[in-house]
Amino acid sequence: MSETVIRVQNLGKRYSLGHQRSGDLRQTLKDSFKTIAGRRNGRPDEFWALKDLDLEVGRGEVIGIIGRNGAGKSTLLKILSRITMPTTGRFELDGRVSSLLEVGTGFHMELTGRENIFLNGTILGMRRTEIRQRFDEIVAFSGVENFLDTPVKHYSSGMRVRLAFSVAAHLEPEILIVDEVLAVGDAEFQRKCLGKMSEVSKGEGRTILFVSHNLAAVEHLCSRGLLLDRGRAVASGEVRSVVDQYVKSGMLANDGRAEGVSLGEGVRVKRFDLSRSAISVFDDLEYEIEFSSTTPNRVTELAILVYNHLQERVGIVDLRHRDLESRSGQSTVFSVRGKLRGVPLMEGAYHCGLYVSSLLCHGDFLNITSFEVKSASGDFVPYSIRHRGYVEFDNSFVIH
Amino acid sequence: MARIVVDAKKSSFSLNLKELISYRDLFLILAYRDLRVRYAQTFLGFAWALIQPLTTLVIFTLVFGRFVKVDTGGVPYPVFALCGMVAWTYFSFVMNQSGNSILTANELIKKIYFPRLIIPLSKAVVGFVDFAVAFVLLIGLIIYYDVPLSANIFMLPVFILLTIVSALAAGIWLSALTIRFRDFQHVTPFLVQLGLYVTPIAYPGEVVVGSLSDAGVFAFYLNPMAGIVEGFRWSLVGHGGLHSVSFISFAMVVILFVTGLFYFKRVERVMADVV
Repeated sequence: MSETVIRVQNLGKRYSLGHQRSGDLRQTLKDSFKTIAGRRNGRPDEFWALKDLDLEVGRGEVIGIIGRNGAGKSTLLKILSRITMPTTGRFELDGRVSSLLEVGTGFHMELTGRENIFLNGTILGMRRTEIRQRFDEIVAFSGVENFLDTPVKHYSSGMRVRLAFSVAAHLEPEILIVDEVLAVGDAEFQRKCLGKMSEVSKGEGRTILFVSHNLAAVEHLCSRGLLLDRGRAVASGEVRSVVDQYVKSGMLANDGRAEGVSLGEGVRVKRFDLSRSAISVFDDLEYEIEFSSTTPNRVTELAILVYNHLQERVGIVDLRHRDLESRSGQSTVFSVRGKLRGVPLMEGAYHCGLYVSSLLCHGDFLNITSFEVKSASGDFVPYSIRHRGYVEFDNSFVIH
Repeated sequence: MARIVVDAKKSSFSLNLKELISYRDLFLILAYRDLRVRYAQTFLGFAWALIQPLTTLVIFTLVFGRFVKVDTGGVPYPVFALCGMVAWTYFSFVMNQSGNSILTANELIKKIYFPRLIIPLSKAVVGFVDFAVAFVLLIGLIIYYDVPLSANIFMLPVFILLTIVSALAAGIWLSALTIRFRDFQHVTPFLVQLGLYVTPIAYPGEVVVGSLSDAGVFAFYLNPMAGIVEGFRWSLVGHGGLHSVSFISFAMVVILFVTGLFYFKRVERVMADVV
């Protein structure tokens, strides 16, 4: 490892559940009275979002931080980007830090594209002169040349994201902190982000801290991984082994059944049941999906999306049907039941989501349920998963 | 190369002026944004900055100049009142705007680091527009009524500075308090409303000095704007004078400003968690 640019010691962050939101006056007066009276010891409603974390990152390293929701990933990034203060410990950063906790922060709808480039750029820590120098580059990258003097409120959401990202992409910090930027935007945009990030880290020797649920992206981009669970570092080291440990730990898997997921606008997936939460290769898998909505929600398109543990899509189950639209358009509740015959998937953990195009909501809704495919026994020890791709072929052969 | 050290145990009360200065571009851009948004989209634009003080002035002139006939020491009432209103308009605008400023900027605060003080500070710049417009109006009135300018005019910059500092002091205090206690969202507009009456804008301070006990007068001048408004009038048209009680107000400006900075720094540490 080359020279250390991030040094974190014993870092911890405690939140008190009771009044994370700023309190009312009465509560504070009561509390301060208790403090004076010495009756305030160890409140039970506290939890550590991050605890006893030590970390050293060298110059040019790209470190991927993974873990479940609530594991402390975002808290760590928030502390390192100085948005919030740690409760314990200390850290040192060498060099200018920029954080992209969300692309487009600080955009103002009434201002023009040009004004927003300056606004967003300075918010992200650039000087005006720097922005001016790179202005043409930023504009070219975003592709919104013709709308520079149009208020951003008239932009399409795609244009807004492109503009925001190109401002962010032209920052030149020594340390870049990125959180879930890839959660927004289409596939092409995500590729562009990833490309820019690896270019920045490899070409220019920047240090990047990267939080993502997209394990494939983490493996692809990062050299090191850090696995967090309930605020503590569980594993740290070479990215492959950390991702493997995460996948094997079972932290990813749910129980195969979803209790109901809101798709917004009053639409809910009341149930998304799989007949079994673990199958062997070539087993059948039955599914039942039940929707409810406050008013009849005419669904025109529906598909189950299947993702592997690296969050790569391995396939979809197309559920478009001529009865779908009429059935869902008449009732506030409808369900779909079916069977996948002989699931040819490689062993591992899989997630199911839904693609829904309907009157009230539209989009991909991921991680609704999950299942596991267990390895089939054979005469030979199977090759490592890494060599075997995505599918298992139902194959018979003879040797002459 | 910049090195950043953050330690949970060390609570730094240093203002970090250097950092504040390095973020001056953000300060200017935020002020620019507010100005643009405030004036660009409205049909009458900058005229609003004129309409507001003008309306108040007309009402004051009718009520206090015509009906009640307060003693202005020979100064035409509109000029008398506007002298006070120029300072008050600016003060109340900045106090109002910055009181809610941190709360309104919660999106930024939760996602990006920058010295949070920038936000209330930038509101002080936005207020200059209203101040300038009211001031031009005042000059117009002084010329119209042919009021001789006071020889104390050289002190005007001092009072302008005091106005800015006291507006900032109130703004910094209220923005931090609003984060800690949401009740202050309601307190701020109330204070602004109250201030218009307990500050000698429509009437001279002598009225108060003459009719209240010593303790009452002292309490009256605890309002930093009480002394400043009179100072404005004194330096512009020579009305009244600087009493020893006025200095209570000036001291309050300094006290509020310094304590405000301290309090703000304290709240800043938890700002992103509670906003």
